[in-house]
Amino acid sequence: MDGFFLFLNGLIWGLIIALIALGLTLIFGVMGIVNMAHGDFYMIGAVISYYIVSYLNNFWLSLIIVPLLAILLAAPLERFVLRPYEGFPSSSMIATVGISFIIQQLALAVYGGIPKKIVNPFPLDISMFGIYYPGYRMLVALISIVTLLFLWLFLYKTSFGILIRASMQDREMANAMGINVNRVLISTFAIGVVLATIGGVLAAPITQVFYLMGNDIVLLSFIVVVIGGLGSLKGTFITALALCAIEGVMASFLSPTQARVLTFLLMIVILMFKPSGIFKD
Amino acid sequence: MTDIKRKININFITIPIFILLILMGFFLPEGVKSLVIHIMVLSIFAMAYDICLGFTNQCSLGHSIFFGVGAYGVALSIIHFQTGLLSSFFICIILGIILGLIAGIICVKLSEAYFVIVTAVFYAIFHLSAMNMTWLTGGDDGLAIHLPKISLRFVEISLYDKIINYYFVLLVLIVSYFILNRFVNSPLGKVFVAIKENEKRVKFLGYNVFLYKLIAFVISGTFAALSGGLYAITLRYASADFFSFHWSILPVVWCLIGGIGTLFGPWIGVAIMYIFQYYISSIWHYYLIIFGIIILLILRISKKGIFGYIIGRLQT
Repeated sequence: MDGFFLFLNGLIWGLIIALIALGLTLIFGVMGIVNMAHGDFYMIGAVISYYIVSYLNNFWLSLIIVPLLAILLAAPLERFVLRPYEGFPSSSMIATVGISFIIQQLALAVYGGIPKKIVNPFPLDISMFGIYYPGYRMLVALISIVTLLFLWLFLYKTSFGILIRASMQDREMANAMGINVNRVLISTFAIGVVLATIGGVLAAPITQVFYLMGNDIVLLSFIVVVIGGLGSLKGTFITALALCAIEGVMASFLSPTQARVLTFLLMIVILMFKPSGIFKD
Repeated sequence: MTDIKRKININFITIPIFILLILMGFFLPEGVKSLVIHIMVLSIFAMAYDICLGFTNQCSLGHSIFFGVGAYGVALSIIHFQTGLLSSFFICIILGIILGLIAGIICVKLSEAYFVIVTAVFYAIFHLSAMNMTWLTGGDDGLAIHLPKISLRFVEISLYDKIINYYFVLLVLIVSYFILNRFVNSPLGKVFVAIKENEKRVKFLGYNVFLYKLIAFVISGTFAALSGGLYAITLRYASADFFSFHWSILPVVWCLIGGIGTLFGPWIGVAIMYIFQYYISSIWHYYLIIFGIIILLILRISKKGIFGYIIGRLQT
């Protein structure tokens, strides 16, 4: 049953990673920016929710406040800082590394360098198939699935979402068709950042809140994005779930580090034989 | 035409700098001397990385594996096999070549974004394993090295002496600069540049692109390993931190700030970063904020970095 527990854990991490990685895919696909600061937006989400918990004493408020703050942060950042680097992958990579330095050091200055924990906001175990599973993780799964559903509805059912997907497929053509690219760019970046911060908020009570917590996440979500086939939303989602579940299962009979190393080796093998990702359409 | 100009430019700049560095060794105060040693060691790393990114357009995020393997190659061979300093450097270079071949054969075939990620996965594997295998690597605490003396025919010199350390590093820097410069200006280097400009066309001309990219990757990895070994010698310790993401992303930052594809440009990147760190960090702890702003500004003004901007100005 231990294995099942870890498998579920893996799946729920997979949902969080899927949120973050989908933001990354959107930003890369629409804007051509390799966003190395994505993990730091995740960290910002966690840090702000830490402050909300300690001052307002209510964790659930952060699910509303953090996305709003994220939009306020992301929109000017895209318009005034990142705009000149769009479409230049390597320059944008270094520019976002610069932004990542700034965010991390600001967090270090304000929040401090000591990892802290948020009290579990939903301390209830759910009994299921003979094991007791932490209720908060179940809620995390629920919230991420709802968020992903909203994202899907937005991207596939609203006209603005269709504009975003059109710019993702062929930016020049979208431009030529008279799409207001300015609005599309700003809102895409904002959506990406909001997804990352929601991931951070959800992950905060499960992990430790630390100013460098984004560094592991950014690599993992990049890997997910690439293996899923660059720019493929469906692929990103499935890969995130699959990879984290595999890692969870492996963690049941190996140490966590060994499990991660093995997962990474598996990815290298996959990319050797399928050099353009699994779900390239 | 532009290439001839660039070549003259570079030697006109670097040789006076070497002479200046040779002369400066006698006058510099201790603190500044260790700063300059630091910059020189990492300049080798930056140049090595430039061969990869600037000449064949392979943006690797996994160069910390070479850096770390070089550092541990030197450290472990001194600790466990009691090798002399020079033979441990020999081991470190051999390790760099072997690792470059293994990683290169797997990665180089992949197209751009996939290459970036697979090299990044390599770094992650090495970093996690190094943190995990504390019996071998010492983990985060690292291993301290006691430096053996180098015996020349008549005298024995010890790198514990700052001046000797300085000239040793400078010698390695000069030698590796001239080797790399020779590579870049040879027909091989021309093929590298051609691959950077248009890979498909080079393939149509009948060159084995895979082989040339692999050569560039291996050269780059070898010199990165050499730099890692020197770094371990200078700090007299090696730790699993040498494999971390920090050391993977820094060379990219140096190269893009300084100017890719110029060999000399990355030095500027390294110098700016470390002079900045040395002087500002004592005043303000969060100097990386300013550094981030500087990165954004430099890239905003010129996507080719500082030296690329200067060259562009000189040529027009």
